[in-house]
Amino acid sequence: MSKNLSAVVAHIAILLAVFIVCGLLSSVAAATDAGAAKFTGELEENATLRVLENDTAIKQGYLAELIAAFNEEYKDYHITVQDANMDQYTDLENDGPYGYGPDVLYQANDRIMRYPDGKHILPLPAEEFDCYDKISEKGWQAYRRTVAGQEYTFGIPVNVQGPLLYYRKDLLPENWESEWDDDGDGIPDMVEYWTDMYRFSKEIKEGGGGKKFGYMRSFLEPYFSVGYLYSYGGYTFGKGNTDPSDIGHSKGNAELGANIIRQLATVMDQRCIDDSVTTGAYAALASGEFFATITTPDVYTMFVDEMKAKGYTEDFIAENLVTTYIPKLPASGNLEDESQGFIECNMMGGVQGYAISSYTKYPNAALAFVKFATSYEMIKRRNELLGIVPARGDVADEVGGLSEVINNNLEAGNITVMPSIKENAQIWTPLQTLFQDLAKDAFRTGAEIKYATLDSMKEALQRVDQQIYDSIFTLQ
Amino acid sequence: MKRRKIRPKRLFGAAITYLIILAVCFVFLFPILWLVLASFSKTGSIYSFRGFFPTEYSFDSFVKLFTDTEMYNYPRWFLNTLFIALMSSLFGTTLTILTAYCMSRFRFKSRKALMKTTLILGMFPSFMTMTAVYILMTQFNLINQRWGLILIYSAGAPMGYLTQKGFFDTISISIDEAARIDGATNFQIFMRITLPLAAPMIVYTLLSSFVWPWSDFILPKLLLKNKDLYTVAVGLMALDNTEFSRFAAGSVFIAVPIVIFYFALSKFLINGLSAGAVKQ
Repeated sequence: MSKNLSAVVAHIAILLAVFIVCGLLSSVAAATDAGAAKFTGELEENATLRVLENDTAIKQGYLAELIAAFNEEYKDYHITVQDANMDQYTDLENDGPYGYGPDVLYQANDRIMRYPDGKHILPLPAEEFDCYDKISEKGWQAYRRTVAGQEYTFGIPVNVQGPLLYYRKDLLPENWESEWDDDGDGIPDMVEYWTDMYRFSKEIKEGGGGKKFGYMRSFLEPYFSVGYLYSYGGYTFGKGNTDPSDIGHSKGNAELGANIIRQLATVMDQRCIDDSVTTGAYAALASGEFFATITTPDVYTMFVDEMKAKGYTEDFIAENLVTTYIPKLPASGNLEDESQGFIECNMMGGVQGYAISSYTKYPNAALAFVKFATSYEMIKRRNELLGIVPARGDVADEVGGLSEVINNNLEAGNITVMPSIKENAQIWTPLQTLFQDLAKDAFRTGAEIKYATLDSMKEALQRVDQQIYDSIFTLQ
Repeated sequence: MKRRKIRPKRLFGAAITYLIILAVCFVFLFPILWLVLASFSKTGSIYSFRGFFPTEYSFDSFVKLFTDTEMYNYPRWFLNTLFIALMSSLFGTTLTILTAYCMSRFRFKSRKALMKTTLILGMFPSFMTMTAVYILMTQFNLINQRWGLILIYSAGAPMGYLTQKGFFDTISISIDEAARIDGATNFQIFMRITLPLAAPMIVYTLLSSFVWPWSDFILPKLLLKNKDLYTVAVGLMALDNTEFSRFAAGSVFIAVPIVIFYFALSKFLINGLSAGAVKQ
């Protein structure tokens, strides 16, 4: 009798659990559907939209142009757009619910995709956009989230961020064509292969008395450093960066990437350990203190400004300030060993785009604005003014050059888009600490050296993965 | 006249003392000197320095600070800060003086308990209440309002009334009693007798209530979302990381009014400080 009773109670409990889970899921889905249902197609008249853009777009006058063009286009509906006039990193999660957030926001995918969990942004009817079939699947994936079995799109990709190598062509050795172009392709080997960049940087450092450097870049920023781990099989989250329970910075042969970081640090100075060299790179490249560095495409004008300040002419700058994709890595994971050939360097990237706040009073006007801002003309203008790499394939193809290269690398999987899940916020500090320690190790001597073997690097990476896991799951 | 001979032991002691003083001065002054010189850097970039100091100097950063206002409107931030600090100082001083006077002159039930409670509450750092303050301010619609900040600074100022109370304690109560015998009311005694005697303490309170909002970062960052409402501290933190010389120039310039106030009112300030510290 008691056995039967237990069985009945157990069945009821299971049924209840199933109902609760289904209820929760359907309520989440219903809320998301309700968000989508706000887009009725009827424009709200007399709407005033507050748009949050990034500082570069404001500084270069792009936002003013965009606003003027939209306001002119929609003047019959009395829809007005204005600059939200807020910090570009404003957190919608904090300010949105109290009514102080922007209606439309332009941010990177890792930031925007923190908002769907709290329903702070609206799912968008992506297929209605004219850019829908112009943007690559990888671009859209950065803004997709599956809720209760259904996939929603929460942002419209605008700009693909991927790192580039900046170098000074006039600082190449005079005999580079005979000595530094083994493959005879007319491109200096040091900007094609990390092994040659390492050798060249070593020569400069030794001959420069500690005042000149070849390649220089801070390892503090995981955004620019984690790619070395990715290149040798590491990853951030499993299942295409969607499964936070599977953290893989130590997976594959990621320790070889750690070894590359440690080796590269030896041809720099101790500034590679901290962040001081990041903003200093503009002036240092302009003065010829550094031969090359890595950063994002949108700061090209910073280098140009610094070179102009040093008295270089525009023609000289256009000729000698060169940007190219990241050099290839040695398959051996050792910058002094080319015997196993080369592999592509897989770097972390991001996709910046527009999203619409759930707290907006004018969802349809906001949608019209996002459609307008992501149109062919506006993205092309954005590229002209800001030098961004358009996520729209048609614009990227037309402007060609690095836009095409970065988009192709994104497609080919050589750029890994930052994970679009909120757990991504937990990866930065542990990774930063490790990269800093690896770079510092290059300047340690004797018994102080911590990472003398690949095994010790593997263990350090495993500890980082555990730290990230703990910070995500300990309080859940 | 016989010249007094300085003993070597005494000379050595003085030399050591001066050395320590010089070392301490160096530690405190060097960062300030560096910031001031950096603000006059011609290149505008910290990374073009040779050693610690810029190689060329100019006023460009200061000119840019006040003329290039499209992205970073320093003059407006400066005026916002001045308005908030002045208003907070006026209201805060009034409330502090009134609180201190009450605690010094009147005896009422729970006076001691109230004094102890305010003393303990004053020990808690203001940022502890950040979340509660934010939610309260949203309810009162005081986010993005300079008056919201003025309210918080003014309301928090009386927590530090003890110095002022100490000063009022030094003014003999027999003066009040004589005035009362002549028919003066409590308000008249406060306005016509106590306040004129408390001028150094009022100046000291005005200055100390001015400094907190003038240099605070946490509360303005929390409550002011609109860039046009930023105070200097928040605005400088929002500068792009390539704007170092502008940051340095802004940091140097923000110190100017407070330095002027301190020098102009230093006599009152010292009197106020020493008077509040003595109890009759």
